Amino acid sequence: MKLVKLLLPLITLTISAFSVPAQHLSDASLVAKGAKVYGENCARCHNARPAEEYSKKEWSVVIPHMRAKAHMTGKESLAVEAFLASTLTADVRNTPSHESADAPKRTGAELVTQFGCQGCHQLKGEGGTLGPVLDDVISDKGEAFVLQKLIDPKFNNAASAMPKYPMTKEDIAAIIEFLKQ
Amino acid sequence: MKKVLLQSAVTAALSMSLMTTVNAQENSSLDIGRLAIAGYGDVTYISQGNMKDEEGNDIQNNVVARFVPIFLFQLSEKIHIEAEIEFSTNEEGETETELEYANMHYFLNDNTIITAGKFLLPFGQFGANLHPSWINKAVSNPGLYGGHGGNGSLGGITSILGDTGISIANTWNMGDAGRIFTDFYTVSGPRQEEGDHGGGVEMEVKKGDNNDSMAFGGRVAYAFLPEWEIGISYYTGEYSDDGDLNYSAYNIDFNWVGSYASVRGEIFGSTAETEGETEAEVEGEHGEEWVKDFDKNGWYIQGTWQARQLGKAWLNPIELVVRYSDIESDFDGSIGHDFEEDAGKMGSRIYYGINYWLEPSAVLKLGAESTSIDNEGAGHGGIVDDRVFLQLAFGF
Repeated sequence: MKLVKLLLPLITLTISAFSVPAQHLSDASLVAKGAKVYGENCARCHNARPAEEYSKKEWSVVIPHMRAKAHMTGKESLAVEAFLASTLTADVRNTPSHESADAPKRTGAELVTQFGCQGCHQLKGEGGTLGPVLDDVISDKGEAFVLQKLIDPKFNNAASAMPKYPMTKEDIAAIIEFLKQ
Repeated sequence: MKKVLLQSAVTAALSMSLMTTVNAQENSSLDIGRLAIAGYGDVTYISQGNMKDEEGNDIQNNVVARFVPIFLFQLSEKIHIEAEIEFSTNEEGETETELEYANMHYFLNDNTIITAGKFLLPFGQFGANLHPSWINKAVSNPGLYGGHGGNGSLGGITSILGDTGISIANTWNMGDAGRIFTDFYTVSGPRQEEGDHGGGVEMEVKKGDNNDSMAFGGRVAYAFLPEWEIGISYYTGEYSDDGDLNYSAYNIDFNWVGSYASVRGEIFGSTAETEGETEAEVEGEHGEEWVKDFDKNGWYIQGTWQARQLGKAWLNPIELVVRYSDIESDFDGSIGHDFEEDAGKMGSRIYYGINYWLEPSAVLKLGAESTSIDNEGAGHGGIVDDRVFLQLAFGF
């Protein structure tokens, strides 16, 4: 009881002292950081779950729950939220389409960074270990395999945690060309 | 002294939290929700054709099911509420309901979380994080977490998996050197078992506090993510109705998670002070009062391997599991005595399983388990305790 008596005033004072105005988030590397945190933390206890299992709004409520479970910091959990949200569009199937004429062309390297691939995969010695190394994936598995994996990550493994990214056909072609190098 | 140390640690953790540079909870342009429902469930067929209870009666095969929704509410960026309710059918087909936890998280700053309510105690890893059926790679629990079925030959070491109180959790990020997780809590504590044989620590579902004394505990872990995490937990509290008997427990847990395999384990022990009285030399008078320790110790190790490492597409969903648990208990250092049913036992449990993953959070498990009690004269000693399981488990 003494401890509770000791803690309560401290907590009360602290809560009132830490009213901090919210800031708008505009960090371009947040998605990549989120992918890394996702790759490092989810599989500590369970299979990493693909983004499409919840909506963006649901993830925003689920992530604080996982923050407490996994001891993630606030910044890390926000980055994971940003990563998961980046893979979700209004089209839940994320069916690949052709690039619209006014969309800027993105290189394979830019796309690999944008989608946070190295959160789970190693490339040139950098990246996570949740998924396989990507350096020789084209020569080992074949271009057709990688193409199909990008279109439908679960086509060869129903338990795959790889998100189904909102990629265009041009995006997929650019990533494959990048992985060939 | 132990309490003082724990109290000091809690105060230190809180003070360090206050000293931490406070960063604003950064708002985002993401869609913000208010309510989400997650959870898990399972249906399990248990074949136990050769199993008998202590009186030699057959134990029937059965099918049991669970549905365990978790209700998550986000009141604000700083306050999050969660509750988990377990609905299950038992071997008799009756429906059972239990509140697993219901609490509020207050995100004090970037690395500190205060939790109040009923919560799963950060004591080891299995009880806090690994027990949900779609996460638990095996169908059953490690031996040191209790029988949970079968003929109950292997009593668990502790019941302190969930309780009501307040906790403070911190994350200390040390960059390339890894990170440290700390959890300290105070909860209502263990209860004394009802009964006329002196009463040990209540191992069943708790009914509330029974004395004025709070229990204290904590876990300190070092993690080198994504592969390693090692934690040490300690718990102490008075459990008797008059608050003069102590129960304490420790746990050392480790986890290694690789791309295709994992190894987990825990070393676990508890000590419950037990009181009694020697036989009086003169009829009608009291004998000498004594307090002796009732100790339980055990460990388990679990290994898993995913067959996708072999590169064959048809093997991708398959995972193999093996787990070995060992437990022993003694009273005042002696194995042989008749003070309590579960006292004085040396037992082990081994589980072999093959899992077929249907989705990242849905799995079909086939497992076989054998439990043995090794010392003669112990309760359930020599009685067959073998089971085969088929379980469909899912997280949602």
